[in-house]
Amino acid sequence: MSQMDDALREALRREAAPEGFAERVMAKVGREERQATKSDDLSHWLLAAFRRPQLRWATALAGVALAIGTMEYRNEAEKRAEGERAKDQVMLALRITGGKLRLTQAAVRRIQYAPREQ
Amino acid sequence: MPASFDKLAAKAEESVDVTLDSNMLQLAGRFLSGQDADQAKAKKIVAGLKGITVRSFTFKQEGEYNAADVDAFREQLKAPAWSRVVGVTEKNGEREEVYLKTSSGSQIGGIVIISAEPKELTIVNLSGDISVDDLGELGGQFGIPKVELPKSKGKEE
Repeated sequence: MSQMDDALREALRREAAPEGFAERVMAKVGREERQATKSDDLSHWLLAAFRRPQLRWATALAGVALAIGTMEYRNEAEKRAEGERAKDQVMLALRITGGKLRLTQAAVRRIQYAPREQ
Repeated sequence: MPASFDKLAAKAEESVDVTLDSNMLQLAGRFLSGQDADQAKAKKIVAGLKGITVRSFTFKQEGEYNAADVDAFREQLKAPAWSRVVGVTEKNGEREEVYLKTSSGSQIGGIVIISAEPKELTIVNLSGDISVDDLGELGGQFGIPKVELPKSKGKEE
């Protein structure tokens, strides 16, 4: 029993940390914090700005303007696609119309120039 | 267009369905280029139109549509609003008809073309103002030789 006690005491004996250990740990913690802050920079900046009373309105307006701008851009893109589709349909419809008019004209000519039966 | 045309679309090997109202024509007009000859001509024609409807069906075999399908539509094209300017029936069963909607001066209020071939049926309806010149040139544009429409209303049947 005393042998086991001795082994445990030896294993768990207090030992001084290597030199600079605390500084290295603190430096690593700081680095990780800075990285986390960088990834959320924009949202943090916006939140921070929103918390400042003098920037609150400006931040809100900038957010609204950004949302409106995005919506306008999407609407414009949709309208352009719809316009291009309509243009293609007009061209197809007029091509078919022209083709059928030509067919009709050819049929009229065939009858006009057909040899008459005696 | 008669509802029976929807059934024809299901039977057809190929079908074209173009329906454009005045709003869509206005939108299309803004996207038609003035630089391209075909598009410039189309832009001019579209400016006076209120609507375009084209239904075209191509069938694998003859006899997949019947005359009644077309008759229902033809019934709507009666005088005095409409007059048939061309009607040609050929021995092989092809039938071409052109109806014009009467309007004032040199303007036409609309044009309907019915082209019934054994394996193909096409109905074109351009509603709104279209000039005789535009109509004559319509066939001459889009890579197709110019059409000379008969001046009299004589029937060729």
